[in-house]
Amino acid sequence: MLSDTETKLLGVMMMVIMLGMGASLTFKDFAIALRKPLGIFVGLLCQYGIMPLLAFLLAKALALPPAYAIGLILMGCMPGGTTSNIFTYFSKGTLSLSILMTMSSTLVAILMVPLTLAFYSSGIEGQWQIPRENVIQVLVLLLVPTVIGIALRKWNANVGAVIEMIGGLLGVLVILFLVGSWVPRNWQLLLATGLPVYAGSIGLGLAGFSLGYLLSRALKQDERRARTIALETGIQNGPLAVLIVLLSFSGTQQQEVLLIPVLYSLFIVLSSSAVTVWFRRITQREELARDTAKIGALARA
Amino acid sequence: MDAITPYDLRPWVGQYGKHIRAELPTPTHANLPAMARAAAQRFAAQTAFTTVMPNGMYGSLSYGQVDTMSDHFARYLRTVLKLEAGDRVAIQMPNCLSYPVVLLGVLKAGCVAVNTNPMYTANEMAHQFKDSGAKAVVMVDLFADKLQEALPRTDVKHVVITRVPEFFPPVVGGIVYAVMKYWNQQIPAHGLTAATLPDALKQGAAAGGDVQAWSAALTHDSLALLQYTGGTTGVAKGAMLTHGNLLWNLAQMRAMCASHIDDGREVVLTALPLYHIFAFTVNFLCMFEAGARNILVPSPRPIQNLQRAIENYKITWLTGVNTLYNALLAEEWFTAFPPKHLKAAGGGGAAMHHAVVERFEQVTGAPLVEGYGLTESSPVVCFQPLNGQRTRDSIGIPAPMTDVRLVNDIGEPVPLGQPGELIVRGPQVMHGYWQRPEATAEVIKDGWLYTGDVAVMDEHGTFKIVDRKKDMILVSGFNVYPNEIEDALTRHDGVLEAAVVGVPDAKSGEAVRAFVVRRDENLSAEVLMTHCRTLLTGYKLPARIEFRDELPKSAVGKILRRDLRTEVLVAQNKNEG
Repeated sequence: MLSDTETKLLGVMMMVIMLGMGASLTFKDFAIALRKPLGIFVGLLCQYGIMPLLAFLLAKALALPPAYAIGLILMGCMPGGTTSNIFTYFSKGTLSLSILMTMSSTLVAILMVPLTLAFYSSGIEGQWQIPRENVIQVLVLLLVPTVIGIALRKWNANVGAVIEMIGGLLGVLVILFLVGSWVPRNWQLLLATGLPVYAGSIGLGLAGFSLGYLLSRALKQDERRARTIALETGIQNGPLAVLIVLLSFSGTQQQEVLLIPVLYSLFIVLSSSAVTVWFRRITQREELARDTAKIGALARA
Repeated sequence: MDAITPYDLRPWVGQYGKHIRAELPTPTHANLPAMARAAAQRFAAQTAFTTVMPNGMYGSLSYGQVDTMSDHFARYLRTVLKLEAGDRVAIQMPNCLSYPVVLLGVLKAGCVAVNTNPMYTANEMAHQFKDSGAKAVVMVDLFADKLQEALPRTDVKHVVITRVPEFFPPVVGGIVYAVMKYWNQQIPAHGLTAATLPDALKQGAAAGGDVQAWSAALTHDSLALLQYTGGTTGVAKGAMLTHGNLLWNLAQMRAMCASHIDDGREVVLTALPLYHIFAFTVNFLCMFEAGARNILVPSPRPIQNLQRAIENYKITWLTGVNTLYNALLAEEWFTAFPPKHLKAAGGGGAAMHHAVVERFEQVTGAPLVEGYGLTESSPVVCFQPLNGQRTRDSIGIPAPMTDVRLVNDIGEPVPLGQPGELIVRGPQVMHGYWQRPEATAEVIKDGWLYTGDVAVMDEHGTFKIVDRKKDMILVSGFNVYPNEIEDALTRHDGVLEAAVVGVPDAKSGEAVRAFVVRRDENLSAEVLMTHCRTLLTGYKLPARIEFRDELPKSAVGKILRRDLRTEVLVAQNKNEG
């Protein structure tokens, strides 16, 4: 459980993160992306097609009780996390695509999150349902800083770029903050938590990476873009889910629902780091192979 | 050469129209520092330079700041380092805010700038510094390790190190620097004893010295710049460009562009490196005098690096080479949102392909005029006029006060319409190569600069470059000019760029070999040959087409045919051996 102050702090940090995300793109970037909508379409399909379904199926397969199931489904319905951009950068992926996917999934979140959430959680008992107004309220609240971010970028590129960077770093810090403030107080809970919850929390991200990759390859995206989409798909906006849970539940109920979003946020940082190192190696090998092919052509000459 | 030749009548003057003055007075400023000071006074509060990083982060200097800081740098050179008038100072950096400060500082100190490509190898550096006798080097930190390697083989005594985000706002500069150093690991460690540029400026400011007096001694005949050229053909030679050469060329360019330059209001995008003579004279000198804001991009590769610069500033002028324009046109962000305020663009360095010119003009609505010049002529010799009739694929007409002739192998003018070697006479022609009288005598004869380019002139005085004299391919006794074949190849939509060279051939003496970078991966050599057959006669057809991922290019993006030819020659020798 988090205190009131911590919840407020989390809200403020989320706003800064969204400000940073907004500052990472210009209106022109959007306009250009919309000219070739396939990339955005693939992204949205992964984000709101694959992930919620995956979360739903995982919850079913692992026979999670409703408190955990709603946590997992909520996690699956979230838009892309801003940390995906950092991981994409480190993994030498296509940064512009990653930013664009995060941004577009966040912008349509107002529509898509309530829809998918209602659909996949319809079988869950009423007391565990997340009120639609809460979801919409949080999302609207976060859209404001996003739009301000875009405007700041346009107003002054230096301010925009600095905010973008602060937002990105804060994205990682928030997760560390969540984990740091939550884990010590709940270690007993962690010990008592069964394997299925862990499997769901970790599996959502890992399966998201794999399916995102496969789907984008099937839709004829090249390997580098597919790796970018994979990261983007697997990495959800964890802190956003935490915020929604905090606003929707209280007491022990809150604590229970919160478990999976927090665990997901913790493990996604670890699994993304591993995947990033792996992708980075692949990209470097590809680059090296291309260079060698060129040098080889010269050497043969 | 007694009879009056078609060139003596300067038929091109008829094309100057009302916008270009045929007769220009001798430049009033005695030297470049005087020009710079006048501009700095006139536009003191206006932004002179803005460096834009790929993510849009930027730093700027006003005309007043550039003036003051370059005074300090001059004082550092003369008072602190005790350099003397005429001493050579090498400048080695990509486009960044330090460049104008250092360059003007060197000239204000009465010293000579040695404009050097920062990407040179240690060997190339050593040669250039030794040859020029440079006593000081101002270098970007990106390649300081190579400088350290080269230094023992030179007479360089003082080193000043600068960085790409120099003079940026502290937080922004710090971030850019940290990313370059720690994440990209672009900045090598070095053991040089060197001052940093900000430190040098501080020392100069404290030390004092009468800057005005140092530059007052400079006349039009004083050496301003050693601009090295010909590095890939053999030994690089330093073209001696004087204050007069550069001031004249500046005035000539200003006259050619008078109708499209509004003093104090232009914003010019400088993507080509300032260590190259084209950007140096056209973007830096001309636009500084005109009070323009110069948007400096440290590296145009990859081409996306230009995106934020073009988006965030109201670019009115753009200069580039064919490969740069071609690359821009392949970018969706450029074609979807071309610069709205663009008034004109200039192309040079290598032949512009007319498919590129047409497409660029269609996309931007601004004229892309092609020019022609050489390092040895400061560089502008010819430019297409911005107003009136422009002849496609031509290099336009000679600049005011410039004489151009086409001559045969024994130096006699060829008849109108016949191809001949282009020779130039004018106030922008260099005084010779630094300490190389023989090399100078080979290219400057009777005051005419022999360019080695073959051209034709029409009755209106418009010139067309046929090709480099030494790139001409002799197929079974027929002259084949690579430009024509390259143009035919690039007219195919599936071709991004092409280079054509002549290779030894048992049957025809030489054969045409084409190297092609595809835009469309599925394009086959057969399809491309069929396309060529519709445009070229039999002997001009490539005997072989090779597909490549990229073509070798020089610092400014000129395709290096020579490297491709060498590659083929080496391969052939191996096969025979």
